[in-house]
Amino acid sequence: MGAPFDIGYIFSFLPKLLETLGVTLLIVAGSLLTGLVAGFLVALPRMYKIPVLRTLSGIYLSFFRGTPILIQLFLFYYGLPEMLKLVGLDLTRAPVMFFVILTYGLHTGAYAAEMIRASVEAVDRGQVEAAYAAGMTPYQAFSRIVLPQALGIAVPVFSNLVIALLKDTSLAFTLGVMEMTGKAQTLGTLTQHFIETYIALALIYLAISFTLERLLLAAEHRLTRHEIRERSGGATWFNLKRRSTYRSLLHNLPDVDTGKGGRI
Amino acid sequence: MIELSQISKSFGRHQVLQNISLHVNTGEVVVILGPSGSGKTTLLRCINYLEKPGSGKIAVGDFQVDCSRARRGDILQLRRKTAMVFQQYNLFRHKTALENVMEALLVVKKLPVVEARRRSTELLEKVGLGNKLDAYPSRLSGGQQQRVGIARALALEPEVILFDEPTSALDPELVGEVLEVIRAIAKEGITMIVVTHEMGFARDVANRVVFMDGGVIVEEGTPDEVFQRPREERTKQFLRRITPEANYVI
Repeated sequence: MGAPFDIGYIFSFLPKLLETLGVTLLIVAGSLLTGLVAGFLVALPRMYKIPVLRTLSGIYLSFFRGTPILIQLFLFYYGLPEMLKLVGLDLTRAPVMFFVILTYGLHTGAYAAEMIRASVEAVDRGQVEAAYAAGMTPYQAFSRIVLPQALGIAVPVFSNLVIALLKDTSLAFTLGVMEMTGKAQTLGTLTQHFIETYIALALIYLAISFTLERLLLAAEHRLTRHEIRERSGGATWFNLKRRSTYRSLLHNLPDVDTGKGGRI
Repeated sequence: MIELSQISKSFGRHQVLQNISLHVNTGEVVVILGPSGSGKTTLLRCINYLEKPGSGKIAVGDFQVDCSRARRGDILQLRRKTAMVFQQYNLFRHKTALENVMEALLVVKKLPVVEARRRSTELLEKVGLGNKLDAYPSRLSGGQQQRVGIARALALEPEVILFDEPTSALDPELVGEVLEVIRAIAKEGITMIVVTHEMGFARDVANRVVFMDGGVIVEEGTPDEVFQRPREERTKQFLRRITPEANYVI
């Protein structure tokens, strides 16, 4: 395939690919924001068992977790404008990025909803009772007692979510978005050095994933500093194993399945 | 002063409490005994509305609630006049011992931080944890956690402290230290309602013992009366079961 392998190309492609890093990160950030809002809205009726809304949430979750992201992209990009035309809304001229962020956002929302629900429910109910017994309002009990602990529980799942999202954005090029993977395709076609472009591309994704994971691991340690950790000396940069054992201390921790291989 | 009148409570079709009335004087220590499923914990949890009573009236100090039409504000008021010590301690796991005691002082009583810290430190020293102020619950033994729980309850200066089997989750060798603390604060004249299985403790500390079974109060009286001269057959049976050598007749 194409020109003979030349390692020099990898280094010359890196800066060119990094020019489009902003687009990739924009998709990630925009989708995360949309996803967390959507996830929260979807998680609420499931946590409080609100009849009709709960069923709707279930359908939402099934759709976004049960179909490939690529199909979702196509459905939203090509299908949504058609459907909205029926109610007189013209979206045909909306930028592609709008559809991309919307789709990734709603997709992330499905996983975020489960993350939020499971994390809140993992905080032991007795502490809420203790807060109530002391005369706190439900809002005070949630914001001061449940939320800080739920955040710590959510971080590992959130970390998987962000990294999965980062990698998924590589599919946005199918709609013609010039993010990193799209750029790599173009570079490959132009120079015929496909292998080198993809190696450069993989290196960049790897570096970002790795950085994100380290940052979020640090956040997790900070948020769960109240739990006992084993003192393993081997916390080197390449030892990504979580050292915290707080999960074993939580009673009835529900399975937090991200569906993406990450599991508490 | 606590006054419960005609408290009833059902879980579905099962009636757990049937028209329970109980009067507790200020400074009195009342111990509630009874077999499991007798409704004693439910009764305790009705007093601060962790369980919603079906009907009846609850009066704590000068504040009275009619359970059939209690509003959110009433419940909050009631809870601010009581405090509870839980079987599973229920400390806030993300807060240190000191922060656990300070929390409600800051959030509910709106005390300034300095004042809250001063008072909380004093109370923790009183329960023997002056050297554990900054320890998180995960670093404390069960007995130490429960003592923090007691300090947390004391900090609120409630009209009554409700103890829900405070030593049941503890390893046997840790029971003593917790009972010691409860005994000490009982001597200070703090009103307490205690659900426990510690008979020796009940006999020692209680001004009055209430025996419950099947959702009703079967018998109540001084520890001597209930332990040594129980009138009701059900009380006798219960005491025989829990003290097989019948050592309740000294």
